[in-house]
Amino acid sequence: MARQRYHDGLALRQALPGQFLPFLVAAMAFLAALALAGGLAAHGLSQRWTHGAGAVTTVQVPRPDDAASADSTATPASSRIAAVQAVLSATPAVAASHRLGEDELRALLAPWIEQTGDPALPLPAVIELRTVAGQALPATLMASLQARAPGVMMEHDSVWSDRLAALAGSLQACALLAVLVVTTVAVCVVMAATRAGLLTRRQAIALIHSLGATDSYISGRFATRVGLLALGGGLAGSVLALPMLGVLSWLAAPFGTTGDAPAMDWRDPQAWAAMLPHALLWMLVALPPVAGLAGWTTTQLTVRAWLRRLP
Amino acid sequence: MFRLHDVSYTYADSRTGGAALSHVSAEVAQGEFRWLLGPSGAGKSSLLSILSLEVQATSGMVEILGMPVMHARRAALARLRRRIGAVRQDFRLLPDMNVFDNVALPLRLQHRAEAEIRHEVHAIMKWVGLENRLDALPPQLSGGEQQRVAIARAVIYRPDLLVADEPTNALDERQAARLITMFHRLAEMGTTIVVATHNDAIVRRYPAQAIELAHGHMVRDYNG
Repeated sequence: MARQRYHDGLALRQALPGQFLPFLVAAMAFLAALALAGGLAAHGLSQRWTHGAGAVTTVQVPRPDDAASADSTATPASSRIAAVQAVLSATPAVAASHRLGEDELRALLAPWIEQTGDPALPLPAVIELRTVAGQALPATLMASLQARAPGVMMEHDSVWSDRLAALAGSLQACALLAVLVVTTVAVCVVMAATRAGLLTRRQAIALIHSLGATDSYISGRFATRVGLLALGGGLAGSVLALPMLGVLSWLAAPFGTTGDAPAMDWRDPQAWAAMLPHALLWMLVALPPVAGLAGWTTTQLTVRAWLRRLP
Repeated sequence: MFRLHDVSYTYADSRTGGAALSHVSAEVAQGEFRWLLGPSGAGKSSLLSILSLEVQATSGMVEILGMPVMHARRAALARLRRRIGAVRQDFRLLPDMNVFDNVALPLRLQHRAEAEIRHEVHAIMKWVGLENRLDALPPQLSGGEQQRVAIARAVIYRPDLLVADEPTNALDERQAARLITMFHRLAEMGTTIVVATHNDAIVRRYPAQAIELAHGHMVRDYNG
């Protein structure tokens, strides 16, 4: 006879069966993992587009060592390049500027220089600019530069990077919304399952309540059961998400690096793990305990609210 | 012990309309045995429900085992319930737990050691004459047997206050006499006991102080 099976009459294995809830939590954890991965990928692209090569503005100054034009509003500079650099350093939207050295410039222009066959060709000075995040260069900047160094040219790529960064921001917001929706649905599922369990065992709950069981004892028993089921479901969801995220990361690798997707040994688990960003791996590790904690907390609140109907 | 002063109780379900208890006052000292008398619908079960903290009085003052319960915290009420035993007319046995586990339930909620629980359950079940039915489920028992299991569960932890609603209903005369004798022994050991009954024969056979109710009002509090 199963004498030790139900010590307090709550019979939680009957009230909260072990099949339904973990399956749903696993599905929710799987979706949350995908959404988190999408959010992280969008964040990575945003970072690349904001801080990468695409965000650089280049300023070309022909004949850099010639004398600069006179300008009554600025301090006279000895050369055109010095005048341009003075204007740029006085512009608040410029976060950093870097004049390419001789070697950098020749490396950059090597294809064209080799075609002309004249290594002594006079080269312009090139300055790379990075703007302060969220700020655009002032519309009057070009006019100021032209006033000090006529013929100066500016190539402005940050318009595209800003647009792409905005797109990445939208994708991150969508991912966050998806995580919120999945979390809300999971909480509702846990609440519904808990309430069904409470109704199934209401006779036993009323009895042990009348025998002196505290609210914290009863809610703790339910919460422990649900927390463990949610933990298991979260673990299953994370494990199921791992190979899919590995494949997606492998497919998306060309967007993060140059060239084709790297070769991968599909039978090596470490190769799978290495394919995923560390932040995503940590999120997958954190997903089961977070699911368990959310299940535990939701159940505690649901049971305590339900017990309020008892005296 | 308990003290009731000007206690009224109205059912939460407004369709029933009237008050179950109106302005009832009574005081019973520690270790006293008290009959609770009155016809059906007099309010006996409502009074027992108030004493066993199953419902809260609508108004008045209720003090049980030295604690005013009207504004007590839930955790304090839970602790107080562990000192109160109750035998209800519907027995309230859990149908999916065997007799042993039903009777052991209060001790398990008090986290007693399993060896002690086994000893206590066997002793009380021997006393109620059901030591051979420990593995039976409540639906497999007769009404009298279920009533004895409910009584065993109510007294196994030696409560300070014991309330019983028609506990002799399903018992034969010999078993009823044994039960009332046991209640008197428990009272001698310090348990306050209130037994609701409309069995005049047993009240005459075991005279004691009584509270009599009619239509929710206290008719008298007298020595039987």
